[in-house]
Amino acid sequence: MKKWISLLLFLSFYVSPLMAQEEVELFGYFESQIMGAKIKSDFNQLYSNKLRVDIKSGFYENVTFAANFDYITYHGKTEWNVLDFLSSGITSKVSQDMESYYVIPFSDRNFLDNAYIRLTFENLDLTVGKQQISLGTGYVWNPMDVFNIKDVLDPTYEQPGHNAVRMDVPLGSIYTLTALYSPEDTWRNSAKLFRFKGRISHFDYSLIAIEKLWRFHDYTQLDTTDTAFPELPEKRRLLGASTAGELLGLGVWAEYGYNKMENSKDFHELVVGTDYTFDFQTYIMVEFYRNTLGKTDFEQYNINDWMRQFAAEQKAISRDQIYSFIQHPATDFLSMGLSSIYSISDNSLALVPTFNYSFSVNVDIMAYLNFNFGREGKVFAKNTGNGGLLRARIYF
Amino acid sequence: MKSIIISWLVILLLATVSFSQQLSGEDIIQKVNELFNPQTSYGKAMMTIVTTSGSNRTFVYESWSKDKGEKNLVRYLEPSRVKDQATLMLNHADDIWMYFPRTQRVRKLATHAKKQKMQGSDFSYEDMGGGDVFITDFSPKRLEDEKMEDHDCYKLELTRKPNVDISYSRLIMWIIKENFVPIVIDYYDEDDPDLSEKRLVQSDIRTIDNIPTAMKVVMYNKNDNTQTEIELLEVKYNIPLDDEMFTERGLKK
Repeated sequence: MKKWISLLLFLSFYVSPLMAQEEVELFGYFESQIMGAKIKSDFNQLYSNKLRVDIKSGFYENVTFAANFDYITYHGKTEWNVLDFLSSGITSKVSQDMESYYVIPFSDRNFLDNAYIRLTFENLDLTVGKQQISLGTGYVWNPMDVFNIKDVLDPTYEQPGHNAVRMDVPLGSIYTLTALYSPEDTWRNSAKLFRFKGRISHFDYSLIAIEKLWRFHDYTQLDTTDTAFPELPEKRRLLGASTAGELLGLGVWAEYGYNKMENSKDFHELVVGTDYTFDFQTYIMVEFYRNTLGKTDFEQYNINDWMRQFAAEQKAISRDQIYSFIQHPATDFLSMGLSSIYSISDNSLALVPTFNYSFSVNVDIMAYLNFNFGREGKVFAKNTGNGGLLRARIYF
Repeated sequence: MKSIIISWLVILLLATVSFSQQLSGEDIIQKVNELFNPQTSYGKAMMTIVTTSGSNRTFVYESWSKDKGEKNLVRYLEPSRVKDQATLMLNHADDIWMYFPRTQRVRKLATHAKKQKMQGSDFSYEDMGGGDVFITDFSPKRLEDEKMEDHDCYKLELTRKPNVDISYSRLIMWIIKENFVPIVIDYYDEDDPDLSEKRLVQSDIRTIDNIPTAMKVVMYNKNDNTQTEIELLEVKYNIPLDDEMFTERGLKK
């Protein structure tokens, strides 16, 4: 109740006066979602409701202010223990008194997801504040993106905002230089990024250098206060490149990142993808992803690998995987699709039938099911929770 | 004096008839292409999709083009679901980028993406033009002139050139002799040149900035029994447009 009051206060005090000015736009969406997964003999369900309110304004010429406020409530099974999804070979090594620490809670949240000001000068754009940072050309995986990790079952969902000062300098009509600073507690721990984007013939390309503190955890022990897993922050320096274009009529893209680590072993990531739309409107896509941080043998997976994947600290735990997607518009507003994610390294497969229905001009209904076909202990093992998701979203 | 005037009129008439008879398919389609691609243009349009169930869906978008259609930018204004979504097409739509404001991501698309339906409408991005596909992708052949929608028209058959990746095997086009506006275009199936898939009908032709402009365009989809209407709410031609508008920076604005 208190949170609803905060939201109303936010809307009344901040948004209403802004709306009085003609330049301010107010929009957003309400989303209701149910997600389910089979764990042992039970089908567990998590419901969520999300209200996103966006405001965007050009107060003055060449000055843009944009922000969005998210309010999310969770119901049903709001605590999921990762151990429930793992093989006995992994869980048997976890002491009983630590089991409760592997719970991922879903608590009601309300927060300012993005809030930034963009100053547009003749020769550069300066964006200051909490903003989305989207890097790379990959559809499901982005080796160049050290800020976000996409959900492989729902890769187009919006990513959270990050505090940053960003400068985009166009160099003619083809080239752009981007510099970004994402502040942390100290200069050393803050993320720095430089990117150069250009075009050769029908191919876009970019070169990138990033330095960022990678905050992953050691999930095998508790910290000195015995309340949480200890953080293992480590400086990560990435050099990467990406391209996207067309070859022999096919859409093609590639993305590469070499990661130099301060303490642990260096690793690299690679994405190569292609897509095509047939005359009968069917769309197909295939994307290959290699992450040398991933393991080649599923028997090497440990609790740290699994937890880092569930906590979105690491993109994949198996080395090589292929994502494929086929979609066909069954009617004007209904699209049926099927995606599959195959781990080449451990020979396991997830099939994800998808359904997108535009109920009305501002109402979308989306659903997917996921079925895993792999032996226990593999990435897509049968016991890792076959399930699905149903989402309805109304835009305003 | 009177006889001289009559003689001149007869000569002029004969010359006009002769001119119209002399025009080859290539000449006519070149003129249509020029009409479709002014130096610069701006338009605001309302697109209404009539679904199989008879319900309507409406989209409003703005579009800008420059360098005789070499550069195109389309940005949606309504509905909220697609607000600020934008498409940039350069090099006569050989290079396409889409901007998704919710994820603030720009995605480079290959030209096959032009085959996809525009917001579930009966227009594909390919149908929306953006370039000179009538010239580059089809070979024209002039057929016998016909009257269509009460206009004296040239009739052209455009057959897909070999090794061109476009969704139609041929087009039949009726072009108003007076102003070179294609009043009706029939689109034929990719594999079956006898199967008419869609028909485009242009109407409410007004002269704006000296350019004849169809203010209403309807695409009838014969396979799905649906139709999509585009009504131009505002049009301007040969206005100054900055090159920067047709860059990634302009796309994201």
